[in-house]
Amino acid sequence: MATTTATVNITSQDLTPGMPLNINASSTLMQTGTTTGLELMDMGTGKLTEASADDQLFKSLGTADSANYVYICNNSTNTDHYMTVTINATLIGNLGSGEWLFMPWNCSDGSAEIEIQAEPSGTIDYEYAIFKSAWTLPAAGS
Amino acid sequence: MATINATITINSDIGMGANISKSMNMHKFQSAVGLEETDGLSSKVFNATTAVKIVDNADGTAGKASKVYVRNTGSSKDNFFYVAFNASAAGATTTETIGKLYGGDWMLIPWAATAATTHDIFVAPNTAEEMNLEWMVFVE
Repeated sequence: MATTTATVNITSQDLTPGMPLNINASSTLMQTGTTTGLELMDMGTGKLTEASADDQLFKSLGTADSANYVYICNNSTNTDHYMTVTINATLIGNLGSGEWLFMPWNCSDGSAEIEIQAEPSGTIDYEYAIFKSAWTLPAAGS
Repeated sequence: MATINATITINSDIGMGANISKSMNMHKFQSAVGLEETDGLSSKVFNATTAVKIVDNADGTAGKASKVYVRNTGSSKDNFFYVAFNASAAGATTTETIGKLYGGDWMLIPWAATAATTHDIFVAPNTAEEMNLEWMVFVE
């Protein structure tokens, strides 16, 4: 069994005067509803060019309502550049230059694909990883 | 301006393995100026499967940058919270469920505080057993 651990540390000394913020959280990522570690992973990098339509980063996995986890990072250093991130055309938020996200994705139905788009112009370097409980290979010719 | 730093580390031995480490400062929209506001860290005990709104769209401002952190502080890998952009917050076929946070799982996402109830964030436990959640919203 593989072991995948995701940890976050959020800190601020000046967000709330006199009360430093220090959040630490760590989780070992398991297959849907089990204590068996995830064993499927895709990761990579890409260049995203501004266009009028979203680009599909993760297609529906074929196993609805499963435990999967997504990491995306906008590696641009231009503060004007941001990426929109959506699920099934619902905007989650805008990922600014140098920013990352990490979230669960249960692939709730066949339309729950994750899409990204570069804004407002130019090309954005990004990196991603997805850790999956299951994956169904697409049918030949699809 | 405040400086809020978030660092993620992902280590995995799946296949050839993965070691991701990335640090970011939370900035205002299209800016190098840091986010400045929060209502603080919230926590709640849940004893029912009823969906509960944890973030209201009015907590942020449309067109501005916001971040949302959520964590299931329990340890059960059987029990989880659905996190969703809808009041039903159920699993399959709803628009739009994000995912499931099992015991110990966390998420940190940018949040578009679109001025509409479509961007309220709800959670719903899968069990009436006692579960605990913490969350924090960072805004401009």
